[in-house]
Amino acid sequence: LAWWHRAVTARDELRQRVGFALSEIFVVSDSVDILIVHPDALSGYYDTLLSNAFGNFRDLLRDVSLHPAMGVYLSHINNSRSDPVNNIFPDENYAREVMQLFSIGLFELNIDGSLQLDNNNDPIPTYSNVEIREFAKIFTGFSYGGDSAFFGKAYPPNFQTPMQMFDDAHEPGSKNLLNGTVVPAGQTGMQDFDAAIDNLFNHPNVGPFIGKQLIQRLVTSNPSPAYIERVARAFNGDTTGVRGDMREVIKTVLLDPEATAAPTSLADFGKLREPVVRYASILRQFGANSDDGFIAVLGYFLQQLGKQHPLSAPSVFNFFLPAHSPAGEIADAGLVAPEFQITTSNSIVGISNIIDFVILADYVSDSPQGFEPVSLDYQEYEELAVDANALLDRLDIVLTAGTLDSATRQAILNVITDVEDVSQRAKIAIYMFLLSSDYAVRQ
Amino acid sequence: MMTRRGFLTHSCSLGIASATVASTMLQLGFARTAAAQSAPGYKALVCVLLAGGNDSYNMLVPTDNDQFGEYSNIRADLALQQNELLALPGTTANGRSYGVHPGMPELQSLFANGDAAMLANVGTLLEAFDAGAVQSGTAKLPLGLYSHADQIAQWQTAVPDGRVAQGWGGRIADLMQDVNLQNGVSMNISLSGSNVFQSGNQVGEYSIDATGDGAPGLNAYNDGTEFGAFKKRMVDELLSVQQQHIFRREYSRRLRGAIDAQAVFVDALQTSPQLTTEFSPSYFSQSMRQIARVIGARDALGATRQTFFVTVGGWDHHDDVLDNQADMLPAVSKGLQEFRNALVELGVFDEVTTFTTSDFGRTLTSNGKGSDHGWGGHHIVMGGSVNGGSIYGDYPILSASSPLDVGRGIYAPTTSVDEYFAELARWFGVPTSELDQVLPNVRNFYSPESGEAPLGFLSV
Repeated sequence: LAWWHRAVTARDELRQRVGFALSEIFVVSDSVDILIVHPDALSGYYDTLLSNAFGNFRDLLRDVSLHPAMGVYLSHINNSRSDPVNNIFPDENYAREVMQLFSIGLFELNIDGSLQLDNNNDPIPTYSNVEIREFAKIFTGFSYGGDSAFFGKAYPPNFQTPMQMFDDAHEPGSKNLLNGTVVPAGQTGMQDFDAAIDNLFNHPNVGPFIGKQLIQRLVTSNPSPAYIERVARAFNGDTTGVRGDMREVIKTVLLDPEATAAPTSLADFGKLREPVVRYASILRQFGANSDDGFIAVLGYFLQQLGKQHPLSAPSVFNFFLPAHSPAGEIADAGLVAPEFQITTSNSIVGISNIIDFVILADYVSDSPQGFEPVSLDYQEYEELAVDANALLDRLDIVLTAGTLDSATRQAILNVITDVEDVSQRAKIAIYMFLLSSDYAVRQ
Repeated sequence: MMTRRGFLTHSCSLGIASATVASTMLQLGFARTAAAQSAPGYKALVCVLLAGGNDSYNMLVPTDNDQFGEYSNIRADLALQQNELLALPGTTANGRSYGVHPGMPELQSLFANGDAAMLANVGTLLEAFDAGAVQSGTAKLPLGLYSHADQIAQWQTAVPDGRVAQGWGGRIADLMQDVNLQNGVSMNISLSGSNVFQSGNQVGEYSIDATGDGAPGLNAYNDGTEFGAFKKRMVDELLSVQQQHIFRREYSRRLRGAIDAQAVFVDALQTSPQLTTEFSPSYFSQSMRQIARVIGARDALGATRQTFFVTVGGWDHHDDVLDNQADMLPAVSKGLQEFRNALVELGVFDEVTTFTTSDFGRTLTSNGKGSDHGWGGHHIVMGGSVNGGSIYGDYPILSASSPLDVGRGIYAPTTSVDEYFAELARWFGVPTSELDQVLPNVRNFYSPESGEAPLGFLSV
């Protein structure tokens, strides 16, 4: 509930949008019972993404790694040091995923995001099971924080504070990290941890690996290598002198010439809007409001019909893979379109039906008991609706940023010309806009 | 012209559109590859993906004292108790005896009845496992071994040395889809959304829900009311636009295809016989129930060959493997039994083969209540054509010094997924001459021309 209210009403809209993008990279999901039973787990985790959205990536990586929700989700909480006598070894889950998904990815990259190749023209893995086992040693000794906290599952869950390190449960000895870095024996667990975070943060892959995904989440599915490089350089601190400055990275992502170029100049530019963003955008655009001032959205119908909801990805690999390429024309053109992975025969009808409920049936959200229903404000559009063309002009600006196809415009015009009531005309125009491919795919 | 009343009385129902056989295609593209061979009768493959890497060394466990002792030592706090395992009757060729997880009495019974078989220690391989080569670093290993994303993909693509977007079920459909009536409902039906297994170059999956009639209709579209007609007009006008942008084109195509296919699908489903078999409320059972219903409608769908795909998620048990499996394996066991019963009711049990897949097995050794990513794992096949009651492949001799152990009790597979899938594909009707198109890596393990079955668990 809180997520929706904030996503729709918060004035720091960009931070909200970036936070959602980060939640699709640093994935934690409600698929683990304990995270559902403790609602502050996921909301606290999400707050961590929001508060770090315009900070430094090193802090983001560090805070995510220390958050108990992540500790639970990727099981490095209560991960104990080796016990070879009993054939027990550190849990490798977080070690693997923090590298594969949260920092450097699977293969060595050039600064423009392209794969480095070895002498056989094969990509070069960034790590093997050997490095994973070394990093797994780093992520030992964590448990819930709190007064009189101790290591082990007997201590009740506490999602209010970062995880705490218990050196007794931390793997002793040196650890061999990436690029020849050796964490010496005899340090505290937190010293080891910070060394590991540094090791990952400073890997040259992070700029292109994370940068490209941010472009994909926020702007376009198929950025050019040059665009990726500009974002990676912003990450590297080429302009600010500070590595990992997220403010600089986001600015570069959004204001890059490729992002701001006229849409028609780049044939395969753009991305498919995902259900969560599409629905949230609709609520924002049309001034969602309610009598109690709270935008109460359970999100249940979005999950059931649209098959997506924040922090509910089916796995740590998010709702869709960055490399997803739909068979047919798009794959033939060598393009990726990740969001199509969840655009299936049932979900595409589902999101269309949600738009129908919201616009045509005034069922804007599934508000639970005790909350006033949410409604939208069409006044501006009803006033314009007397002149069908003026209405379409305005909707083209606010909904499709001027990229409405002329044939789509004509199709909508044909229909709304037959609708005399201005209130209905406005709604039908809005409905058709929101249903269209022109809105679904933003250029 | 749309009246206010018509507009206001519009209700949000998941309408069933009128019955017209759609001619538009849901599948992407129109080119066909080689003409499909004639494929007599009906056959269906049902792929159950246990996503995350099921710790199957706790699903199928040695029960003889010697091997159980080894199992118990290696698995430490992950080991099940010997007396809680459910014995599988008979022994395998190597004279050993096995049992299944205590939460799977239905599986035990299916096995005993000959309705199901087990396949031991199967996994992705580029070439036959060579311990020396692995030690010396010269072995050619599957790409991204131990990584979920790569392994879960390779179980679906059957391509261990590259990242491709098509799965072997999609390749089969590309070859064979012409045996089905082309009515917009794909030969490949998924209960779990888009998946690589069912993605071909031309054929993609038709995605349905486990609830209701599986395919939601566009509200009010063409539902016989005045508003329904208006709705149809709005939507049809929009979707008739020839979009300039490649993504917009794809989106329109998908929406148009979904609307049209839904009409066909839901109509066909009405012909499916009412099942008396009861299904548990679990997600898996309800998905299998829906699959059974769709199979019951195969004639109305004009289908003689179908694949189905369902994912059961959450098997990545780095933690609490014993508790988690105790919760989750019973659902799989019950679901399989219920599905079997429904298929018998429909009289198609011989024609449907259900098989499990998973990213990998897991480390035999513990990380303290959990296990980490492994390699070889055990699987279940079920169907009237299955030569049940046996364990196929090679269940490894467990030992702390096993040559198959590549570290932490990760056992290299002794049977490759190619052999597993080749057996299924052959049964399904993929001709000998096309088997290596469907399974590009198969010749490293099996010669299609040999005339023999790769593993023998299916009667063709």
